[in-house]
Amino acid sequence: MTMTPVNLSSTVADDEPPVSLWRDAWHRLLRNKLAVAGLAVVILLAFVAVFGPWLTPYDFLTQDLAARNQAPSLAHLFGTDDLGRDVFSRVVYGTRTAFVVAIVVTTIAVVIGVTLGAMAGYFGGLFDRIVMWFTDMTMSVPNLLLVVVINASLKTPLTAWMEARYQATLNPFYRETIWVDFLLVFGSMALISWPPYARLVRAQVLSIRGRPYVTAARALGLTNRLILIRYIVPNAIGPLIVSVSAGLGTAMVLESAFSFLGVGVNPPTPSWGNMISDGLRVWQHYPHLLAAPAAVLGLATVAFSFLGDGLNDALNPRGSK
Amino acid sequence: MAAEPLIKVENLVKHFVVRLGAFGERGATVHAVDDVNFDIFAGETLSLVGESGCGKSTTGFTLLNLQKATSGKVIFQGENIVSLDEKRMRPYRRELQIVFQDPYSTLNPRMTIGEVVGEPILFHKLATKAELPEKVTRLLADVGLPARFASRYPHELSGGQRQRVAIARALACQPKFIVCDEAISALDVSVQAQIINLLLDLQEKYGLTYLFIAHDLAVVRHISDRVGVMYLGRLAELATREQLFSNPLHPYTRALLSAVPEADPELEKTRQRQILVGDVPSPLAPPAGCRFHTRCPIAMDKCRAVVPEWREVVPGHHVACHAVEVGAAG
Repeated sequence: MTMTPVNLSSTVADDEPPVSLWRDAWHRLLRNKLAVAGLAVVILLAFVAVFGPWLTPYDFLTQDLAARNQAPSLAHLFGTDDLGRDVFSRVVYGTRTAFVVAIVVTTIAVVIGVTLGAMAGYFGGLFDRIVMWFTDMTMSVPNLLLVVVINASLKTPLTAWMEARYQATLNPFYRETIWVDFLLVFGSMALISWPPYARLVRAQVLSIRGRPYVTAARALGLTNRLILIRYIVPNAIGPLIVSVSAGLGTAMVLESAFSFLGVGVNPPTPSWGNMISDGLRVWQHYPHLLAAPAAVLGLATVAFSFLGDGLNDALNPRGSK
Repeated sequence: MAAEPLIKVENLVKHFVVRLGAFGERGATVHAVDDVNFDIFAGETLSLVGESGCGKSTTGFTLLNLQKATSGKVIFQGENIVSLDEKRMRPYRRELQIVFQDPYSTLNPRMTIGEVVGEPILFHKLATKAELPEKVTRLLADVGLPARFASRYPHELSGGQRQRVAIARALACQPKFIVCDEAISALDVSVQAQIINLLLDLQEKYGLTYLFIAHDLAVVRHISDRVGVMYLGRLAELATREQLFSNPLHPYTRALLSAVPEADPELEKTRQRQILVGDVPSPLAPPAGCRFHTRCPIAMDKCRAVVPEWREVVPGHHVACHAVEVGAAG
């Protein structure tokens, strides 16, 4: 049988290359000026976070007590703080802290959220209900309160335990109580960050599971594993990318908020949050101590949020037109 | 028509349990398909018609074991396929395919047309990787698409083109039987005609058997060998096309057929419309007795109490109605 192709010329021209949805989205993203600006800032900050120690003129810990609380100058771009430390170097190092916290926390939250959410959405039933109970429960408690409670109640006993272990074993690992800080900061932030990812992925999986192309895949006889890998995950991942981009910015703000409250990364490790907290006490006399970290934190948050918006428009073109 | 049916559907039932109330404390049962019996013969086109929600699509899905049947049997190659789990169902999946209504959601947006059509070929080991491009080209040609479409993504195609791809994907399995679930309802009328002709050509070329689920009686009349009429989850009537259109026995079939406009204006003038009063009752609480009695113009007391038996009143003509005498078809 030879069927003559009918009415086929209208939509696809011979000379145009095929466009996958990913490439299409990338082109749409590049046309969005704000998103490109956001992406540029994010890349710059990431570069600073990785190569920061080689970029700064001073060590972030070096105290120059002869040059305390100096205003910004050529020697100290953002001035110096009350211990004579270079604020620019500390902000640069704070970028590393912010990225480490944001990436570690978001990674943990995404792994937990995607695994639980995808399984809840795909299998349903009792497992789904239990996972959703946990997300609802976690989301019903105010974030800051939960983190403060965890830190306040666990920090002292954990530190004491570490010291006791050090006395008993003389293993140098136990002397570094910074691990307790990391564990508590990362752990408590991940704990409050995973439920939105779980909900998002579950909702995606639920909606995709019922689409005709998934039923068609079942009718072809494909295995559950293939259907998950080739059909459900690639179609569920778009909103997750958007959410992760926005989530990185949120995690940086959270970290700063916790440092500000004194439950985050401990001094002398610089973080934008503890710098803001320190600067706030003296802002009437030395405004640069507050302005520098606050401006960089603001810049980072805005950049991530523009990038997230741009990704959203690029990956869900129907919503934006 | 071959005497031995390709597929035998026996007392097929599909109920959905839904939870109602704020805490899901009340359970209710949707009687989507109830006690449906029919045979599908090799090489024929059997159409199922009825209004939305009458269970015709659910019948198609349940028959393919895409939804678990509540009870009943579907016999294919001596096996009751609706009792099989997914693993034991797999060899039959290749032979029993489906084409869906909505061409816009029937293809995975992340896969090229070549991948869509090639996937079942590789999965069921119907060709080697080296033979695949040629196979895909041949399948695309079968459905009237040029080979260059293989590298395209679904969103670059029109609705009619996507439906052709969906048909090529079903064909890639080398099936015996295809359920066309409203496969043309979402398309433009001109494209509908093309797809119908394509389906008929492919049937001839590959000896396919179709279960054609539709609500457009003009189309059904054009392509079917036999037609089944469903109402509220039950089959009301099943007959050859000639029998059904020239001598409808069930009052619901008569009302349905009277709604089809005649192309000839002279005939159209004399057409008697039989308008049913009331709405279709909820499948959550279907009426006792004959499900059609609430709207039937000739309902009797018996219809309200006793479910009419599914009878073959003349050879090849089945009906479920108390008012029809055996031999009444004449």
